[in-house]
Amino acid sequence: MLGKLIKYEIKATVRLFLPLYAALLLFSLINRFVNPFAINEPVNINLQMILRIISMTAYYILLVGTLVMTLVIMIQRFYKNLLGDEGYLMFTLPVKTWQHIISKLLVSMMWTIVSFAVAVSSIIIIANIGNLTNKLAEMIKAVRNFTGDTAFFLIPVFALMGIAFYTVMIYAAIALGHLFQKHKIIASFGMFCVLYFIYQLCAVIVLIILAGPVIGAITPSWEPTQHQISVFLLSFLILSGALTAVNFAVTNTILHKRLNLE
Amino acid sequence: MNNIILECRNLTKIFGTVKALDNVTLSIPRGKIVGLLGPNASGKTTFIKLCNQLLTPNEGEILIGGMKPGIETKKIVSYLPEKNYLNEWMKVSDIINLFSDFYADFNTEKAYDMLKNLDIRPKDKLKSMSKGTKEKVQLILVMSREAQLYLLDEPIGGVDPAARDYILDTILGNYNENATIIISTHIISDIEKILDEVIFIREGRIVLTNTVDEIREEYGKSVDSLFREVFKC
Repeated sequence: MLGKLIKYEIKATVRLFLPLYAALLLFSLINRFVNPFAINEPVNINLQMILRIISMTAYYILLVGTLVMTLVIMIQRFYKNLLGDEGYLMFTLPVKTWQHIISKLLVSMMWTIVSFAVAVSSIIIIANIGNLTNKLAEMIKAVRNFTGDTAFFLIPVFALMGIAFYTVMIYAAIALGHLFQKHKIIASFGMFCVLYFIYQLCAVIVLIILAGPVIGAITPSWEPTQHQISVFLLSFLILSGALTAVNFAVTNTILHKRLNLE
Repeated sequence: MNNIILECRNLTKIFGTVKALDNVTLSIPRGKIVGLLGPNASGKTTFIKLCNQLLTPNEGEILIGGMKPGIETKKIVSYLPEKNYLNEWMKVSDIINLFSDFYADFNTEKAYDMLKNLDIRPKDKLKSMSKGTKEKVQLILVMSREAQLYLLDEPIGGVDPAARDYILDTILGNYNENATIIISTHIISDIEKILDEVIFIREGRIVLTNTVDEIREEYGKSVDSLFREVFKC
């Protein structure tokens, strides 16, 4: 059943994302040839310059738009499809509540990663970097030298955990807002602030307990050792993992035991 | 097999300060067509939504085929809400695929057959359809399941009289002997002829449950006239 839910979730969202990605990549290509930054060229006020401004603005709007839309669609899919009228269908399917949440979460994470990748690709297209693969390899090597192997491999896990953490926190905020009789959307915003505050509080405590020795070592000229970077990343990984589990449990309990679709 | 398909005890649902359902106790046997009749805001929709786990009761419990509402009951209950729950971006054929993917008892052939009879094209997008057509699509989806319990909330409210007859015939035509159909409505005259039993509900309380035959015998009236008398304003 989870596979089927994921299939329909992708179907429902792919039609929104693909045109957006296509437009973004198209405009970055246009900009590459229009050369809006006027690199190595004298600038005259003429038609070409106006064109540059227009194409650059369109590109910029699309770039920001893609990232904003990723967030908006994530929220909207959860709110509308589960807690709006479409919830009447979703919650009468013979599917477990956690499967609904997981399917939404996984698909949303997938789009976040793809959106980010497309945004970065569009920047690379515009920047027109020669010898791209070599330069990327150099950069990765430099990062790896700085962080050490353990932390280097923790970075992608850390990033994935971060996406899951914020997504589930938004789900939990919406679910908590749903418990209110009135003004559910405002209540959801309020709940997000509360959850975020709790997270900050936990973060401070965890920093002191788990990463205390690292913080103690911080001085103006301090350079972290590779071991310290790993400890720091791992502490936050454990914290966000634990909070994601709590937020997921909160969302699941509310949708399962306290659902009131009106 | 237990002969009771739906049972509820002391069921209470409160919205804010309003008791939408007040201590309702009921049991409905298999193989019946039951009319859940009451004026607007009498608790009909609340009752049906509680059976589908879309609302959580404040007190009391519901058993469907002996089970509390959950995955197992959702497999045997086919529910027509009073709202349009269709995903607007889908084609009719997409939503049929969705139903056959998730419900083991969905009969795709039957669904396409009914679409054809009502002149609805499977390739049409739901977005481009009128409210009435969408209601017909939903009813087709719901009646194409071979469920044990059908919960139909206002199935004929927004449809034209000509289609009403077809829909009632459809409901009757898909009526499996062991299945029970609960139809909530306040348009009684059209539906009376197919009902076996009726439940009158007012302000969240059950005021009368009886078979249609007994009502005719006891009161010497049709259900419609009795309804008008009981719920006289």
